[in-house]
Amino acid sequence: MPATPLERVFYAEDDEDIQRIVRMSLERIGKMTVKVESDPLKAIEGIKAFKPDLVMLDWMMPGMDGPTVLKTMRQQPETASYPVVFITAKATQKDHAELLALGAAGIVSKPFSPKDLPEQLRAIWAGLP
Amino acid sequence: MRGKMEPLPPTSPDPARDRSDRSRVLADQVELLYRQAPVGIVVTLAIGTVLSVELHSSAKIGGWVIFWAMLMVFMCLAFTGLVFAYRHARNRDTAPDSWLRRFAIGAFAAGVTWGFAGAVFFPGHTDEQQVFLAFVLAGMAAGGLPLFSAVWWVYALYAIGVMFPLEVVLLTFGSRLFTELSFMMPIFFAINVAVAYRLNMVFVSGYRLRVSYGRLTEDYTEINQRLERQLIELEEVRRQVEASGRKLALFAERAPIAVIELDTEGRIHEVNREAENLFGYPAAELIEKRASIKILVRPANHEEFDRGWQNLLKTHESLAGLKISNPRRDGIEVVCEWTVTPLVNSEGSVISIIAQGRDITQQLEADRLKQEFTSTLSHELRTPLTSIIGSLQLVNSGVLGELNADQAELTEVAERNGQRLLDLINDILDIEKIESGKLTLFPEPMPMDELMSESVKLNQGFADRYEVKLVTEGVRNIVVNADRKRLLQVMTNLISNAAKFSPAGGSVEIGMEEKSGRVKVSVGDRGAGIPESFRNRIFGRFAQADSADTRAKGGTGLGLAICKRLIELMDGTIGFDGREGGGTVFWFELPVHAPKT
Repeated sequence: MPATPLERVFYAEDDEDIQRIVRMSLERIGKMTVKVESDPLKAIEGIKAFKPDLVMLDWMMPGMDGPTVLKTMRQQPETASYPVVFITAKATQKDHAELLALGAAGIVSKPFSPKDLPEQLRAIWAGLP
Repeated sequence: MRGKMEPLPPTSPDPARDRSDRSRVLADQVELLYRQAPVGIVVTLAIGTVLSVELHSSAKIGGWVIFWAMLMVFMCLAFTGLVFAYRHARNRDTAPDSWLRRFAIGAFAAGVTWGFAGAVFFPGHTDEQQVFLAFVLAGMAAGGLPLFSAVWWVYALYAIGVMFPLEVVLLTFGSRLFTELSFMMPIFFAINVAVAYRLNMVFVSGYRLRVSYGRLTEDYTEINQRLERQLIELEEVRRQVEASGRKLALFAERAPIAVIELDTEGRIHEVNREAENLFGYPAAELIEKRASIKILVRPANHEEFDRGWQNLLKTHESLAGLKISNPRRDGIEVVCEWTVTPLVNSEGSVISIIAQGRDITQQLEADRLKQEFTSTLSHELRTPLTSIIGSLQLVNSGVLGELNADQAELTEVAERNGQRLLDLINDILDIEKIESGKLTLFPEPMPMDELMSESVKLNQGFADRYEVKLVTEGVRNIVVNADRKRLLQVMTNLISNAAKFSPAGGSVEIGMEEKSGRVKVSVGDRGAGIPESFRNRIFGRFAQADSADTRAKGGTGLGLAICKRLIELMDGTIGFDGREGGGTVFWFELPVHAPKT
């Protein structure tokens, strides 16, 4: 369990409505600081600038999908060590296994409950080394 | 095909036939004897009359002559009677032996009659008359030859009858001349019998030839008849084969699937109309060319095709459900599902190969569209619903500020119905996946006590909403082999149903028991029970007892249908019973996990 509480979340998501709901959920209910990015190609730069505690990625995004963003992050020393949580509509166990194999810290299924989302993220956070 | 052909008659001689041939030869001999008898009778009467007249005129013993004449006439009459009887007898051919015996007695009697004349009349007459008598007797003995020699011993009997009495008389007469004559008589007899014997043999061999020839003709006729029958049968069989061939050809020709007949080298021998239509090749372009089947296989797949072909020739096993993309004449590819059957003869070699193909291009396209639709439904409907439900949840959570009572009521209605729409979509996707066989389960050993507590926790919120208590009983640590997520889905379905239909303040009892290798989980409520009319379709799709319930209680009507299919996929059974005192118990049974040792 990390020494500090979860406070800063970076979120890459192309759907602006979902961005808004996630941001509101994490900020209002979870009392966290959230930075969202609509363009996955700018995600790496955004992470480097924002320096979050945790990164949330959508799976399917135009231009670059979530798993590719994760792989790119892992190749760069500055972003290699951030814990990454996927938030995705893909729900099969095979999909989940694939993401965990890539090194994802956790998975949140869409549709998610904004009421419970901060709780879910904190549980994943608590499970990290 | 009908029965086997009858075999042709054997060519080797058999003993029974040989015997019957001999009896036929004998019958022919006897027939000849009787045929010539009338000549003998007439000659006997004529010479006997002349002799009687001659001897009577000068005899001292005229009484004996008259007696002899009467004896001779009687003998001739008796013989005539015998011949007459023979001619009218039915058993001439079957009993030649007995007719021969009668004839031999007759011949002997005739001989003895002449011998009597010699013995009685010789001594008492003049020298001239004695010469006359000796001539007559010698003539009679010699004349018997053509009449009796068909059977030599009949002649011998006759000749003994004629000569023996005279021989005795000549020996005892005392004259030197007669004594010398008596010495010559046996020689004469022996020569005559020898001639008779030779004549007999000639007759027999002649008759044998005749019988053999007759036999041959008979056999030949029989063989001919049999051949004729077999030809008729063959013709009949040929007609049947032709008819069934025509029938088969008709089946293939009019069939709505492509039918292709090939030899072992992949040369097409025949195609039906549908094959021509489907691939756009006229039959002439496909037939009788070396490995012409490859015209219908993509060049890129030729190698793989060859391997499959060799395997087919080796194993002789027919293949079904083979999906192959086949190029048409115009270059467009059609996907066909093929059934390939080698025709193997009784010696175990492949005589031809029948390939039947069905165009499934459109079906595959339809499947693809359905899948695309399903995944679109999954993604494109769920994404906006995520926003809708998420927004409403945030509003209803109160973190954005309090709403007034009317507003709160409406946003709750919106959230609940959004959730219901999402449930419906999820259920439809599940049913679709299960029924198309695309649902993959991930079974793992799972402790049932964990499952129980987790499902209670998951459904606590729902139960609270209906003011129902969730009570567990009999919970034990039993392990089943099941897909965790799917089994939780089943539990959630049963518990939420029970909660929905329980009266407020009631409780839902979740029980567990183990029985002969199976664990039974039950979820009981104290609701109104299940109407009789609804019981047999409760596990059907979109099944709800009362459509008003759908609005009052929510739910999609797919839940139990999904539960049933999921439990069955996990080798279990699902059912329900009425409860004493009202209510219903839904239960499922799963096999207890047997750890591998």
